[in-house]
Amino acid sequence: MQYGFAIDQRTCIGCHACTVACKTEHEVPLGQFRTWVKYVDSGSFPDTTRSFGVMRCNHCTDAPCVKICPTTALYKRDDGIVDFDKERCIGCKSCMQACPYDAIYIDADTHTAAKCNLCAHRVDEGLEPACVVVCPTHSIWVGDLEDPQSGIAKLVAANETAVRASEQNTGPNVFYLGADRAVLDPLAAPVDDTYIWAKPDSQRLRNAGDLTPDPVTNARTTLNTAHPRPWGWKVVTYLWTKGVGAGALALALIAHLMGIEMGVVGDYVAPALALFGAATTGALLVWDLKRPERFLFIFLKSNFTSWLVLGSYVLSAFSAGAVLWLLAVALDVGWALTLLAWVGIPVSALMAAYTAFLFGQAEGRDLWQSPLLFWHLIVQALMVGSGALAVAGLFVDLSDSAWRLLAVAFVSATVLHLLMLLVEYAGKHPSRQAAVAARIVTHGRYARLFWLGAVLPAAVGVLLGALTWGGASVVLLALAGVIAQPALLAYESAFVRAGQDPPLS
Amino acid sequence: MTTNGAPVNPPVNLPGERSHENLRNYPPVEDWDHHVEYDAKAHPRKVPHTYSLIPTVCFNCESSCGLLAYVDHEDLSIKKFEGNPAHPGSRGRNCAKGPATINQVHDPERILYPLRRVGERGSGQFERVSWDEAVADIAGRIRRAIVEGRKDEVMYHVGRPGEDGFVERVLQAWGVDGHNSHTNVCSSGGRSGYTHWMGYDRPSPDYANAKTIVLLSSHLETGHYFNPHAQRIMEAKQNGAKLAVLDLRLSNTASQADLWISPWPGSEGVIFLAVASYLLRTGRVAREYLRRWVNWDVYLERLHPDAQIDFEVFLERLTADYAHYTFEHAAAEAHVPVEQIERLAAMVADADTRLATHTWRSAAAGNLGGWQIARCLFFLNVLTGSVGTEGGTHPNGWDKIIAHFPEMPEANDAWSEMLWPKEYPLTTNEMSILLPHLLKDGRGHLEVYFSRVYNPLWVNPDGFTWIDVLKDESKMGLHVALTPTWSESATFADYVLPMGHASERHDTMSFETHTSKWLAFRQPVTRVAMEQQGIPYRDSRDANPGEVWEENEFWFEVSWQIDPDGALGIRKFFESKARPGERMTQDEYYDILFSHSVPGLPAAAEGQGLTPLQYMRKYGVFEVAKDLYRLDERTLTDAELEGAEADARGVLRKPVSDDTQPPLVGEAGAVGVVHADGTKTAGWLSPSRKLELFSTTLADWGWPEHATPGYIESQVSARKVDRDNDEFVLMPNFRLPTLIHTRSGNAKYLTEISNTHPLWFNQSDAVAMGLTTGDLVRVTTEIGHFIVRVWATEAIRPGVVGLSHHMGRWQQDGHPGSRWVMGKVDLDRSDAGIWKLRYTEGVKPFTSEDPDSERIYWDDPGVHQNLTFPVQPDPISGMHCWHQKVRIEKARPDDQYGDVEVDVNKSRDVYRRWLSMTRPGPGPGGLRRPEFLMRHVTPKRKAYRAAAVAGTGDGADR
Repeated sequence: MQYGFAIDQRTCIGCHACTVACKTEHEVPLGQFRTWVKYVDSGSFPDTTRSFGVMRCNHCTDAPCVKICPTTALYKRDDGIVDFDKERCIGCKSCMQACPYDAIYIDADTHTAAKCNLCAHRVDEGLEPACVVVCPTHSIWVGDLEDPQSGIAKLVAANETAVRASEQNTGPNVFYLGADRAVLDPLAAPVDDTYIWAKPDSQRLRNAGDLTPDPVTNARTTLNTAHPRPWGWKVVTYLWTKGVGAGALALALIAHLMGIEMGVVGDYVAPALALFGAATTGALLVWDLKRPERFLFIFLKSNFTSWLVLGSYVLSAFSAGAVLWLLAVALDVGWALTLLAWVGIPVSALMAAYTAFLFGQAEGRDLWQSPLLFWHLIVQALMVGSGALAVAGLFVDLSDSAWRLLAVAFVSATVLHLLMLLVEYAGKHPSRQAAVAARIVTHGRYARLFWLGAVLPAAVGVLLGALTWGGASVVLLALAGVIAQPALLAYESAFVRAGQDPPLS
Repeated sequence: MTTNGAPVNPPVNLPGERSHENLRNYPPVEDWDHHVEYDAKAHPRKVPHTYSLIPTVCFNCESSCGLLAYVDHEDLSIKKFEGNPAHPGSRGRNCAKGPATINQVHDPERILYPLRRVGERGSGQFERVSWDEAVADIAGRIRRAIVEGRKDEVMYHVGRPGEDGFVERVLQAWGVDGHNSHTNVCSSGGRSGYTHWMGYDRPSPDYANAKTIVLLSSHLETGHYFNPHAQRIMEAKQNGAKLAVLDLRLSNTASQADLWISPWPGSEGVIFLAVASYLLRTGRVAREYLRRWVNWDVYLERLHPDAQIDFEVFLERLTADYAHYTFEHAAAEAHVPVEQIERLAAMVADADTRLATHTWRSAAAGNLGGWQIARCLFFLNVLTGSVGTEGGTHPNGWDKIIAHFPEMPEANDAWSEMLWPKEYPLTTNEMSILLPHLLKDGRGHLEVYFSRVYNPLWVNPDGFTWIDVLKDESKMGLHVALTPTWSESATFADYVLPMGHASERHDTMSFETHTSKWLAFRQPVTRVAMEQQGIPYRDSRDANPGEVWEENEFWFEVSWQIDPDGALGIRKFFESKARPGERMTQDEYYDILFSHSVPGLPAAAEGQGLTPLQYMRKYGVFEVAKDLYRLDERTLTDAELEGAEADARGVLRKPVSDDTQPPLVGEAGAVGVVHADGTKTAGWLSPSRKLELFSTTLADWGWPEHATPGYIESQVSARKVDRDNDEFVLMPNFRLPTLIHTRSGNAKYLTEISNTHPLWFNQSDAVAMGLTTGDLVRVTTEIGHFIVRVWATEAIRPGVVGLSHHMGRWQQDGHPGSRWVMGKVDLDRSDAGIWKLRYTEGVKPFTSEDPDSERIYWDDPGVHQNLTFPVQPDPISGMHCWHQKVRIEKARPDDQYGDVEVDVNKSRDVYRRWLSMTRPGPGPGGLRRPEFLMRHVTPKRKAYRAAAVAGTGDGADR
């Protein structure tokens, strides 16, 4: 059984009754919507047209929000409804990243995720959802799409239909009849400075310049709702803290296996950085939760398909490994150090790069879907990790071979980082949304941050590190190590923000 | 299971009930008094609530759609409103404004207690007062006016009536001529056009069965009757009907049309005449229909006196008379491609007798002579014989019932010249926009002025003149504002009395939503739930929030106190039949009303084991009849014919005297018409009982040149607008689908959807003036200017700018208001009469018991443009002609968004200029006004005679 909606845009009059009936049924706070009506104006006078589109959760067959939800607060019922339980939600917002439809929001009253649940509380009692009941033109159909005899299945079978974001392969179960492509495609109709009778939110206004209007249709979005970026500086920062810690510890472990003596830097600074990085990462993660007091639900109500859960276990394992490393160093247990090194290197890599899997589950963010991201995060971790250790190296006695390792690691990682940026941003993008996001990074409003804040310092760092590698003062490598930190933060800032910038609705 | 103590009932078929597979849209009616629903917010935990589902009627727009209130058994709170599947018009469905009623009920800014002003009028300071004190003061003043024979000094000025027949009876009992409406800022232009055809003043299109639908107004977006009409228009489209929309802007309705024509404002009539001319010259007219039902003989007699009185001759002459209305002429006049008019003509011609047309407000409300646009539109129905047919356009009266209380007071014999001034004998409705000017002229004085769910200084043109008059106690003795929520006008009242929202009052409603005659019942739902549960109450104040009182009980109490001992003959109409000497309760009133005045209801109720009142409390609506077609051909009954004699024109009349009260519409005594073939049918409510292609009324009351459907050049015709001098036509009155006048701003879920006020500005015009979206411009009218932001768009025609209704809300600092929508303003008047309004603050979040009030994310209060419009009453229909000729320039350095400046001296000059365009009465027979024209409270026939009743009306006599 698969409940779904069919929305007949041939008869929809854009009246917003569904929006308001839904809001009164669920007492949805101001500014938040489980369903809403988008308007698009196209053409030139006197051949101007206006199209409507009713937007909402698609109750996907393969719902990415369910997969990514760390606590199974979002779940798929046997009848196909993607439902949610606010009592289990920790407010991590990852579902908002996973949803390619802008369907989920964090309820301002409960601080937990919410969305259209097809009025499951009514459906359970044999009643239609509130939006279906109220619709003046009966343009919203509900029913079992898998029952070929149902009204909705017949309607969908007998008519040409379209779905939103079919390229995301989520199996959306909201079918549109007679919808204008410009309404369903979030990139087709940018906003102007005003809507028809409301004001676009700042996010959409900022994005307007990043989208190219269609010169033929002249399509413009004239009414829509606000969908602010779920993740901001905390996630940006945690990518860096995680990278520093993972990179630093990994280098110490590699040095140990290669028999390169890192001294205090390898014995204490690296694990300390690892613990500091892990602790800060954990703190930022919890801080970013809208229900931080529920953070233990990640472990108590784990959904093991979610990389937020798996990542938390990686974070824990990594932290434990760092502690064990310190213990082994303190107790000078050589075999343990070697064992920890063998195990710790892949764990550190995962620590640095599990985010690639988490971002990969963020089906709504095409920029983050790059297959290169896993390796890129490792490279970035080695860059900032080696840089941080080089800075520490200035204050202790570090062997030449250790310096050499750090220089080689830093220069190679940074060069690789730059090469990967080249591949990511100069190459062809798998989707239009990714291309738009990439363009925002390189040519849009993050261009200055990207080129001057991320690329240029990294290039300078390569130069300085190479000089040290070539025999110049280690101070240059340390300086490069200092420069690399904000450079990565700058890049992550652009990467994380731009990934969330292209509109999904 | 019982309802109000009644036994188990057989199920009835509800027109809005539906189920797909295992889902239904409403709980079965058997469950309505104990419906269990699980808490949506607690889901997936199962937290049950038991509700009574109590029907009522939406009180937002005029459509009167059904609502079901969910009243929680636990605490009698109202959880939400859904539609009422028993309602034949809305069929269980609603627009956004229906469910948003819950916001209005729970609005933390609403008025909960009676208030009396402190300090001078307009100071904005109020103190709480008891209902007893307020009613005693108000009733005492009304009593004095009545006793002293000042029967034109009590005025009830109504915005959204939301009821039919109740207050009319109250005013009739008081014997005053005091019913004032908002209609001449609304629909009197359109009404006038229809009235001079058929007496009935509104159309009722049978959209669902139409082949072609022609709309001037935006029935898929707003207005009369948005939700019920939209349902049926879209049904017809699904069945293959073609939709043509004439609108200056791309409305949501136009966006769904097969043909959108955006003509130069005021030229719409020429387009219809071109279509009419096409139908005539191609012979695609309903000949037999015209022969029988059009007063073609009068047409020939008056316009072609030399011609033989012969139908074929008539058709020839008519065709020749309209021959000059060519497609090319219309295209040139309307500034549209000629192909669009050809397409429209083909669509109309292909409709057979299934042409459904409608105009409400829109062009008929925008232009000088706008009433002729409605007349020209209906001309197409007449020519195609699509009048009263399946799929055609009906008169509203066939699809509407006004249930009158069986015991009606005697008609009054007063005539208020402030409502019906002699300069406007043909006005279809009260000259409400002129009230402040007439008072300033010294034509009269008001002892008590009720503004009732009405915001006169905001909605009317020339609001600053309203303020001048509202503040002047020598002109208005007492201003009582009856309103559920704060308005700009209420702050200029002496008493502000809280009235109920849709779920807090009794009313009956009926509207011509489709081919059905239904009567809906609004109820104070909490009170009904209390009764179900056996909880005692005194009146609706015990059930409503705070001390909100339902208006009916308030009027009963005021009436009682006007005549406490019954000596004036007023009290008896408000006295219990069952308990003489005591006030009649609402239950008793409606029990009698439903038992006597709603055909079929007592039997239907009995079939369910219910009393008529119980039936209405349970279902909230009763369908008296449906699918009534061609009632003009209805054969008269013997009772109707008894004593009736045909006059020279074949109109069947019964004897009348000077004391006879004419009906709501139509001439006293007239019952029908005898046809050439001898048949006697009901016909129309026009003087001839036929469709008046030639209106003898217009001809004989001074306007012979407009007696037939024709073209009157608008005050904003293309010729009169100097485009080279940056002159434009401003269309200031289009509505949005989510708001209704100034009454819905307190519905947070509506305001969050619509909360900016951009000036629609054609892209090419904007480019030519160097403007882009967001730029501030100064828009100058004849009496002042306002400052607004531009929206450069392709959705409006060049040369026309549009600014929606609803916005431009304000409150002065320290005055009460509705902070969901109002910005703060400084208001300043110079001694010379220059008014200035400037916003000092936009809309801001505020703290209240509703956490959402701190989440307000909009800030634009809009621009109160109506202040800058002078009165522009059409000299015939009386309609305020809304379109403004304006000059637009970039804002000057000191201009701020929302600024308004007006010179009220200029507004007086404009008033006088438009007054000079009139042709004052009296008309034939010394009448003040033709008797057949609709009036809410008709006086006796003798009051129609100008000199008949001395001492009333003419203020100079006082």
